[in-house]
Amino acid sequence: MRPGFGGSAIPVGIDVQVESIDSISEVNMDFTMTLYLRHYWKDERLSFPSRTNQSRTFDSRLVKKIWVPDVFFVHSKRSFIHDTTMENIMLRVYPDGNILYSVRVTVTALCSMDFSSFPLDTQNCSLELESYAYNENDLMLYWKNGNDSLRTDEIVLSQFFIEHFHASSGLAFYSSTGWYNRLFINFILRRHIFFFMLQTYFPTMLMVVLSWVSFWIDRRAVPARVSLGITTVLTMSTIITGVSSSMPQVSYVKAVDIYLWTSFLFVFLSVIEYAAVNYCTTLEEMRKMKRGKIPSTFNASQAMAFDGCFHDNDIELTPFPRMAPTLTSDPLTPPPQNPDVRPTEGTRLRRQRSVRENVDLLVSNSYMIDSYSRLAFPLSYLLFNTIYWSLYS
Amino acid sequence: MPCYARFLLLLLCLIVIVECRKHKSRKKRWSAPAETHKPGNPLSKKVSDGTKTRKVKTSHLLRIDEHDFTMRPAFAGPAVPVGVDVQVESLDSISEVDMDFTMTLYLRHYWKDERLAFPSATNKSMTFDGRLVKKIWVPDVFFVHSKRSFIHDTTTDNIMLRVFPDGHVLYSLRVTVTAACNMDFSRFPLDSQTCTLELESYAYTDEDLMLYWKSGDESLSTDDRISLSQFLIQKFHTTSRLAFYSSTGWYNRLYINFTLRRHIFFFLLQTYFPATLMVMLSWVSFWIDRRAVPARVSLGITTVLTMSTIITGVNASMPRVSYIKAVDIYLWVSFVFVFLSVLEYAAVNYLTTVRDGKDRKLREKVREQSQNLPCTCGMSHTKTMMLDGTYSEADANSLAGYTRASMAAEDASEKPERMVVHLSLDNESTGAKKKGLRGFRIIQNTHAIDTYSRMIFPGAYILFNLIYWCVYC
Repeated sequence: MRPGFGGSAIPVGIDVQVESIDSISEVNMDFTMTLYLRHYWKDERLSFPSRTNQSRTFDSRLVKKIWVPDVFFVHSKRSFIHDTTMENIMLRVYPDGNILYSVRVTVTALCSMDFSSFPLDTQNCSLELESYAYNENDLMLYWKNGNDSLRTDEIVLSQFFIEHFHASSGLAFYSSTGWYNRLFINFILRRHIFFFMLQTYFPTMLMVVLSWVSFWIDRRAVPARVSLGITTVLTMSTIITGVSSSMPQVSYVKAVDIYLWTSFLFVFLSVIEYAAVNYCTTLEEMRKMKRGKIPSTFNASQAMAFDGCFHDNDIELTPFPRMAPTLTSDPLTPPPQNPDVRPTEGTRLRRQRSVRENVDLLVSNSYMIDSYSRLAFPLSYLLFNTIYWSLYS
Repeated sequence: MPCYARFLLLLLCLIVIVECRKHKSRKKRWSAPAETHKPGNPLSKKVSDGTKTRKVKTSHLLRIDEHDFTMRPAFAGPAVPVGVDVQVESLDSISEVDMDFTMTLYLRHYWKDERLAFPSATNKSMTFDGRLVKKIWVPDVFFVHSKRSFIHDTTTDNIMLRVFPDGHVLYSLRVTVTAACNMDFSRFPLDSQTCTLELESYAYTDEDLMLYWKSGDESLSTDDRISLSQFLIQKFHTTSRLAFYSSTGWYNRLYINFTLRRHIFFFLLQTYFPATLMVMLSWVSFWIDRRAVPARVSLGITTVLTMSTIITGVNASMPRVSYIKAVDIYLWVSFVFVFLSVLEYAAVNYLTTVRDGKDRKLREKVREQSQNLPCTCGMSHTKTMMLDGTYSEADANSLAGYTRASMAAEDASEKPERMVVHLSLDNESTGAKKKGLRGFRIIQNTHAIDTYSRMIFPGAYILFNLIYWCVYC
């Protein structure tokens, strides 16, 4: 029977010293903490006469024989009192009947985390203590020294910075059993961003920058630009998968998701941009072929040959001695609008000029898309970064 | 006759009853648990069996029931000194991700409890196992900062209690404990970690229980066979101190300290060597003809991808610390080198394109002026982009027909790295001159950036390596 049974509620003071926060798991949304939990109450039945007024200390074996408060951790998943080499329990009895009861406990408790700003987030977790059997009419749980009741050892977490530990208390209502005193140990954790900068943001930025390299490579190097674009898409995809594997599967968008997916979009757009450049080039070729500026033997597909260069296969076939007389004439004077005249002469000159014109047009065409991309992509990515970091920092 | 007979009968009955009672009590005295005596038939005699000795209960021998063993020895008197002796059996694992270590050790306590003294003629000790522990007082030593720990209990609790006649007690147990160790990874994997295991009494302050190392520094002994796969155990030593708890007072705390140095070989093989190889592979691109665009680009981008994979692989087995580790520095600098080789080729390609355009325009002007030259710009341009990167005889033939004047003009407009039309002056003059020039020009078909990069990149990487290994070793 509790002290003062049938009478007024017995006040039990609580004092906590947090030894360590062992781990904080995002996937399980819980944290593991080891603490020294001390209870202070008065039991007249245990008072003993003493001249020296000194207390007597006992270990766990006395605990089974006397009454102790039955404090438990609300929302805990697993917990245990350490029992090596003996149960880590201390009982100190003072001559007037005051008792100090201390246990060393490791508890894994639930903490609902909000990841919408992950990894630039701050989590608010709390450990709650309550008596299991005795409601507030029988046992009054209170913090012994107010906010000073909560002390911490030198707690060092690798991924977090502990901003704040504070104690609070409240009442909890259970419809079937009544009102209970509940004590809260609240702490705020701020995540260190550095690891994610190195692991996620920095590789992502590099991949986006690498995708811009494609705009500076000659647009006729088809395989090069395509493989560049597609490999950066692959790497981005790998980074995204890597981040998601260590996260719970939440139903909202996290801050890191926004960054990664926007960067993925940039890289994706660089591939689409090159497809557009290539398509425009081909289109121009077709048009010119129809207009006759390019002789029909000129094969647009040859222009885009795997090695990425334009080939003039007919150059080798043209007999040179025939060329000599034509060299004297001014190749530039025949107007470009005379398509009938040219095929009859030595094809070399004519074709070269038309190829040159072609090249100029195509080059100017690709310069348009590519040169605009060279400015537009970096600037918009910079703008995105400015908005993102100012929003989340 | 009836009176006397009745009196005699009564007397006989009384005697019989008295005898029966005596017999019963004798029976009770002899029913110790180890013995099974047959109900006494005083007339039957047995040959005494040497193996059956008259045993007394342990509790009787040690007079356990006479004392209250919830109280420590010399209760309310001076502190009881408890000596501690540790033999480390093994270091099971050291986890970087959890920042803890697991150790199995034999923990021995020595103290004196007068209540357990027993008279002995031979001065020999008595040994008991775990079952006596629950009945007597033992010190409640615990491991501070331990995460999980247990006393092995196969096949029975691994506990030994040895009581000497004068009341000295030796209490030994076999424990596995997982304790936290703050590790500093700023020099990982060329780091040394110092971990400690701390022993303290949970309930008794230094006024009640004095914990001390029994033989000073020699109290800590280790098995010879302790070895870890990833670490070299440098030193085991002991210290002791007092720890203060504001609510409960001063406690004696004993420390087992050990220093571990990590073996670098695994990381050399797993991380440093692949990263170095990737960087060297990216230098191969500088030696490939700059006209082979797809080759150089895919070489560059694939080495970037591989470096990225290596970096991800290393970080998977590491805790998420907020500072930079030594291995991070190496990997990221290597990544930057590889990245720069891709940028270098982009620059080469861009400048080539730009120069080609300028050269073409220049040649057009020259052609306009001379008006007798076929424009070879297109051809030279396309030929320079060919994948096989060489000139064929056909090219040489096709260039026949140039006059010397045109060649001179061409000379003026070109840079030495460009390989163009010098190949053929005219049909007749080709021969050896053409071939010689061609060879010369092929060798020179590199961009200045490539030439410098071939020296700068390896030089800079070697310098970085020298600095890195000097700083960290």
